[in-house]
Amino acid sequence: MAAPLSRQKLLREWKLYFFVVPSLVMVLVFAYFPAASAVYHSFFEWAGGDTKQLIGFDNFRRAFHDQVLLDSFLTVSVLIVFNLFKMVPSILLAVLIHRLKSDRWQYVYRVLLVVPMIVPGLVTLFIWKFFFDPNLGVLNGILDYTGLKGVLVSLDHFFHWGIFYANVPIGWLSQPELILPSLFLWGFPWIGAVGVLIFLAGLQSIGQDVYEAAELDGIGPIGKFIYIELPLILTQVRLMLVLLIVATLGGYGLQLQLLNEYGGPGGRGMVPGLWMYNRAFYAGEFGYACAIGMILFLFILVLTFVNNRYVRIEK
Amino acid sequence: MTPVTKRRTDFSRDWTKHLFILFFILIELFPLYMMFQVSFKDNATFIRQPWLPTNPLTWHWENWSFAFHLILPYIANTVFVAVTGTVCSLFLAILGAYFFARHKLPGSRLLWAAFLALMLMPGVVNITPLFMLLKSLKLLNTLWSLVLVGIAGGQVFSIFVLRNFIEDLPRDLFEAAEMDGASHLQQVFNVVIPMSGPIIGTLAILSFLGMWNDFLLPLIVLRDKELFTLGVGLIYLDGEYVKQWGQIMAAYFVASIPLIVVFLFTMRLFVRGLSAGAIKG
Repeated sequence: MAAPLSRQKLLREWKLYFFVVPSLVMVLVFAYFPAASAVYHSFFEWAGGDTKQLIGFDNFRRAFHDQVLLDSFLTVSVLIVFNLFKMVPSILLAVLIHRLKSDRWQYVYRVLLVVPMIVPGLVTLFIWKFFFDPNLGVLNGILDYTGLKGVLVSLDHFFHWGIFYANVPIGWLSQPELILPSLFLWGFPWIGAVGVLIFLAGLQSIGQDVYEAAELDGIGPIGKFIYIELPLILTQVRLMLVLLIVATLGGYGLQLQLLNEYGGPGGRGMVPGLWMYNRAFYAGEFGYACAIGMILFLFILVLTFVNNRYVRIEK
Repeated sequence: MTPVTKRRTDFSRDWTKHLFILFFILIELFPLYMMFQVSFKDNATFIRQPWLPTNPLTWHWENWSFAFHLILPYIANTVFVAVTGTVCSLFLAILGAYFFARHKLPGSRLLWAAFLALMLMPGVVNITPLFMLLKSLKLLNTLWSLVLVGIAGGQVFSIFVLRNFIEDLPRDLFEAAEMDGASHLQQVFNVVIPMSGPIIGTLAILSFLGMWNDFLLPLIVLRDKELFTLGVGLIYLDGEYVKQWGQIMAAYFVASIPLIVVFLFTMRLFVRGLSAGAIKG
């Protein structure tokens, strides 16, 4: 509906520019300026004060030899693989809810799914931190109660891990070897309400008649999933995949709160975003932090590009 | 077949699915159950009986009064930030979207590209220069800094969604309004806003949730305890050495109450908003 205007009309409509100015100013000041400033300062040694020294590409050179940063990229890759695996329960749950014949129950379950979302994310995180507590935590309680602790201890004896001992509470967040497993366990059973709702939206286009036809052809529940449901939500799965990878790559709030600013004992939970945060706000190396931010940004940009170029087209 | 028998057969045919779903959802809700029942215990009771709720007559209500005193100021600060931020953000976004949707003025293509490019930019990597910017604007340790950053952060996505929506509104409405001599601002208030209630509601919930849950920015911006938002307040509480779990859980629960109230009134918008929100990422 937006058509080019004649000169005459332009003279009348120029006031319309004022409509976009406030948004534009906000975006320029709080998004474009910081981004430009990050690029600029990544070439400086800068402690955040008035004095700064131009050092060219030294920050980037340092980054390529920074063992913490290199390790953190490895850690974040592992976390991305974890998170891909953690998508599975959401897909299964969406399919199960969709297969219910009653619309009323579908709605009830959908609402129940959203309920955990209204608890602030930080609260969920801290409750999980409490679950991981060695002495009072629910996780150790369950392991003791079900006897799984004994299994872990005997496995430890067998493989000589040196992590689980019979009468010592398991320090999920204090034992370096257990940091990654804890980050994996976190959020069990890994139902993401948003993910389930998105998948459900994708499944909505399948009518009951398709299922009935499949039943007549003698296709079982697993066959239905592979031939009917999965192809239909593939777009949504891809979308979630990309969002998840980008969010995991740039995120660090979880690691900061569950562990600490050094990524927990042994730095096993250190991710690139957290190292950037750490350098800026704990070491005062703002220039170097900007450089890490740039590197991270490039990674995310490449991923977004790959996604736009290759993933969307297949749709 | 009558509806009643149909429903019954539906349920009995689906009971295995119901069982699976309930299993998932119960585990999902388990942290909330723990939060609730521990909030009425002191540490000694909790160590004796961690799993089951105690007799309501022996509940430690003082945990809750402690939590209210501690959390209410944080809630007030967060409500201020999230409400002011959401209202301003949406108002600016509606104006911006109206500009893009109604007329193609010279330069609007370029401006549109400038907005869209921001969708590629991950906000988290900007936090260092953003901090320095707020410092030079003398906005550190103020709630306004959070409001301003929140407004700016919401622009791109909201304008993107609203532009498409406004373009799809019937053109006659605008022409009729113009005939009656309505200015553009009047058209925004009398045509666009009344017509786009649900979409504005959805965007408002997304924006509100984002600002409500943010803790990374408040953590580096706020210093004074009186200004703490919920996120910083909870982190502060987590940092205490001797932990009274009952008090802490009660505080978590109190921190969740405002959203529970919002949720009860806007359940449908919430469910839809969250589905839309994932596209925003």
